[in-house]
Amino acid sequence: MNLSLSSVEWHAGSWKFSADASFCPGVHLVAGRVGSGKTTLALLSSRLIRPDTGTIGYDGIRAQTLSFQYPEYHITGSTLREEAESYGVDPTAACARAGIAGREDQDPFRLSRGELKMFQISCILMRTWDLLILDEPFSALDCRAKLAVCRAIDEIQSGIVLVITHEQHILPRTDYLWEMRSGVLTGLGTLPEALFAWESAPGPVRMLRDRGILPANLRRDDMLEAACRMHEYG
Amino acid sequence: MIEIRDLAFRPLRIDRLVIPDGTTALIGMNGSGKTTLLRLLAGLSRPANGTIILDGAPPEPGRAGFVDEYPDRNALFSCLGDELAAPLRFRHTPCGEVERRVSEAAVTIGLGGDLDRTMDTLSGGEKVLAALLSALITRPETLILDEFDSHLDYDSLRLADELIGSSGARTVVRCTQNMDLAARCGQVVVLHQGTILHVGDPKEVFSTLEDTCCFPFSWRGGT
Repeated sequence: MNLSLSSVEWHAGSWKFSADASFCPGVHLVAGRVGSGKTTLALLSSRLIRPDTGTIGYDGIRAQTLSFQYPEYHITGSTLREEAESYGVDPTAACARAGIAGREDQDPFRLSRGELKMFQISCILMRTWDLLILDEPFSALDCRAKLAVCRAIDEIQSGIVLVITHEQHILPRTDYLWEMRSGVLTGLGTLPEALFAWESAPGPVRMLRDRGILPANLRRDDMLEAACRMHEYG
Repeated sequence: MIEIRDLAFRPLRIDRLVIPDGTTALIGMNGSGKTTLLRLLAGLSRPANGTIILDGAPPEPGRAGFVDEYPDRNALFSCLGDELAAPLRFRHTPCGEVERRVSEAAVTIGLGGDLDRTMDTLSGGEKVLAALLSALITRPETLILDEFDSHLDYDSLRLADELIGSSGARTVVRCTQNMDLAARCGQVVVLHQGTILHVGDPKEVFSTLEDTCCFPFSWRGGT
């Protein structure tokens, strides 16, 4: 199974996105500054927009989805029940998983934005995907919800997962790190070595890196273990 | 300064809360009532019961600078230049002054050459930075910021903090899920199911949250 972007270019005015990359099964974390092209990568990879040049290849990918950055863009039903059913998942289970049990007949827009985001992500994570693209899955979530989403990503056994995010503190176990740099997709490699090259690294990674300490991975437990080492060594 | 008394509105039940001048972080789990409270402070909702006094008077729409957590809900106009200019034009600011301040503002977020760009082509982070500039452009005394930082990377967060710090706003209330950011504020208010769970300086408040995921990471290493 493989997602490939071969000599892909996409233009918006004078701004150019370019990528030459291959995504194998595993968790790929894609970071980058505001406006660097992260969402464009999500849209191209999910084939919602077509490249101006180059090709996007799906090898062995049958079931794929994109979780939009804005949860409100997903809403098609007038109740959470209808919304869950539109994903083909059980409404009661989806609401329970999102921490809003018993609210199946509520209007989705009566939820707080964080609750709506968690509900929408929960619906997506209740199904199995060959290619799962999560555009800013952690924005608007509180830390407990972020940890729950990370655990769900950690438990995915197969398929390609792209986590596109600038989350600063709570991240999933990551197999490969990528960075969008002014429209150019750049592969940084595997962890922890890739952390050295991460230009838009979150504050906690910078804090550890500046002291010569690298976490084994990006999970909260890895970060806390590294913070303990920082405390020990001063 | 903002003073709240006997507030009852939707999930909120707040007997008394004083938000002093300076920066206050409003934190809490999803659905705890943070946005409801911020919209009251910004005058975008009116409380069914109780009083809110902001610098001697009830909040009125447009008095405080406000950034919505939904990036798309901040924009009224289709292009960036008009969006930034709108608060000044609504106040009948002379055209030359509007043009000057809009140009200066756009440069600060690296969009100086993009004033004709349509809002739908901005990234999520660019949208909230534009919304922040639009909120700051009239130099309000009070700023109400609803979790706009969840759309920003590390460098953009620093830029936003610089813009807020140099804005001259006397009172800033910001909701955030970034506890390192909350730890840098003068006061932290923790909402839980519509009520105030903790209020105080960051050290005091976070000492009650040390065993939770809410404890600031930057404090874990003893710094």
